[in-house]
Amino acid sequence: MHYFALLLGPEATETPAPEDQAAEMAAYQSFHEQAAPAIRAGDALTATSDGVRISGGPDAPVITDGPFPEGAEVAGGYYVFEAENLDDALALARGIPAAKRGAVEVWPMVMWNEPEKPLDGTNWIALLLEPAHQTHAPDSPEFQTGLEQHGIFGAAAGEHIRGGAALQPASTATTVRVRNGEVILTDGPYVEGAEVANGFYLLNATDGDEAAKIASMIPATTVELRQLAGFSAL
Amino acid sequence: MTNLDGVFRREWGPAVAALARWSGDLTVAEDAVQEAFAEALRSWPRDGVPDNAGGWVLTVARNRALDRLRRESVRPGRELAAVSEDRWAHIEGVAVHPVRDDELRMMFTCAHPALDRSSQLALTLRLISGLTVPEIARALLQSEAAIGQRITRAKNKIRGANIPLRVPPAELLPERTPHVLACIYSVFTEGYWSTAGPSAIRDELCDEGVRLAGELCSLMPKSLDGHALAALVMLHDSRRATRVDAAGALVPLDEQDRTRWDRGRVTRGLDRLRLAAGAGGPYLPQAVIAALHATAPSWEQTDWVTICTAYDRLIVIADSPVARANRALAVGFRDGFDVGLSALDDVADDPRLARSGTVATIRADLLRRSGRLPEAAQWYGIALNHNGSAPAREFLRRRLAECSRDG
Repeated sequence: MHYFALLLGPEATETPAPEDQAAEMAAYQSFHEQAAPAIRAGDALTATSDGVRISGGPDAPVITDGPFPEGAEVAGGYYVFEAENLDDALALARGIPAAKRGAVEVWPMVMWNEPEKPLDGTNWIALLLEPAHQTHAPDSPEFQTGLEQHGIFGAAAGEHIRGGAALQPASTATTVRVRNGEVILTDGPYVEGAEVANGFYLLNATDGDEAAKIASMIPATTVELRQLAGFSAL
Repeated sequence: MTNLDGVFRREWGPAVAALARWSGDLTVAEDAVQEAFAEALRSWPRDGVPDNAGGWVLTVARNRALDRLRRESVRPGRELAAVSEDRWAHIEGVAVHPVRDDELRMMFTCAHPALDRSSQLALTLRLISGLTVPEIARALLQSEAAIGQRITRAKNKIRGANIPLRVPPAELLPERTPHVLACIYSVFTEGYWSTAGPSAIRDELCDEGVRLAGELCSLMPKSLDGHALAALVMLHDSRRATRVDAAGALVPLDEQDRTRWDRGRVTRGLDRLRLAAGAGGPYLPQAVIAALHATAPSWEQTDWVTICTAYDRLIVIADSPVARANRALAVGFRDGFDVGLSALDDVADDPRLARSGTVATIRADLLRRSGRLPEAAQWYGIALNHNGSAPAREFLRRRLAECSRDG
């Protein structure tokens, strides 16, 4: 089974000191060494100021440039894990350095289309956001309708789509934090009541404008489009 | 019919647990056992209760589950139909045997930390204890719709996120067992210290908390904290009958009729306590405190020195403002009420107690005992301003009247 781990934390307001940056890199390297057999994908996201949010849906998309005002915690990275069950996925999530400062949301996936080859060029993650009560189980009619709409998007975006996933409803998510060495689990996504992740696409585009144009066609209440840092040589 | 009730209570948890292992699905297990019980209600009064009632329930439930799974796997539009069909074809020939571990598995799954505590509680009461949704709603003072939704949501999470139906592997046990203990303890405390509502004690929750704690001890005999928890709930429960007077008001410990405390339970609680020696969790010091009260010949002859030591220990393990407030009361009896009052000052401003009347009630009690009745009356009044159960409020009103009259 596949799980999506969304890394949340405070966004750096200034460039971190070189030694802090080195320590952070080392922490991630050691996590990757330990978790390598389970990691199917993953990357860091560049600053929210490089990202956009798109609302209004494919018919009337409204694009807002980042950084995004609401919420102190922003998405800073992601992983896709293959794990036998939630316990194993949570064991992986607690090892992510971001769990110590911020939080990691662990989402079971309905389906995962793994990139066929390693991502090259410039890539984006388009996070599909929905109000928590509008996330549907895979056996619901709403989910089936959504699938058809995504089929249309898939045909339109073609080769730009490198991978993607649909997530289980918000009530199946678990938030993981590590504080003073102790693991704290919370039932549900990090922000209750706000829009939550419901799926994502990995998109390839020549620049931000093209990525935004593609992402505008995605059938979702809100799309958060963020550039991948390109650390994904996992 | 009460005979059948007894059989149902006994057979429900093991049957659901066995069916859950067999089918891998909690809802399938729950519904199938429910249907088997409905069938039993029809046929047992006519044909008599079968010798092996548990085996009868399992067989009927298994057949009902198979019927349902066959039906669902041919229903069009079911995305997972193909998968299910395979799965059911595979288990069709497999008989269901109850295994002792099934129930333990169920306890760990229902109390999984990825479920919030209120979901754990509702799920435990439904799947292990066999309370119906209306019964759980009544016991937890919530609407049936809310409880039904919570149980459905929890089961969907277990399935959707693939929370394993298992006793966690050894390396996870030390961090998972406390969740099971806390869940069982909250079954008991919800019944024993109802914080709202008309009755002070909801017997079915107390009974179930005691039963589950005992069950856990027999399934995990090496868990010292499990024994400590079982000792704690058993010792508290020995006083259940004397906690409320005929008029429905809460009776404080010092005014309870000690001759009516359940000596059998005290003895069983003390036996458990001996098995718990060396436990590192928060239940042992609380059980020690409960044991000292249970064995004291009178309130005045209570061993306050040891009780204070136990509170000190509890605060080291699990610091909480409620523990500190109760410790202050014990200090008041050990060192004098003024000392107790100043100990209470340390927690009086804790924001976590802002909405509870605990500190006000303890302060009023210490003031009353040191003869400062007008001040005591004032604090009883403040305690009354906080929401509490009807029996607790009844008791506070009585004290307020006593202090006002005598002052």
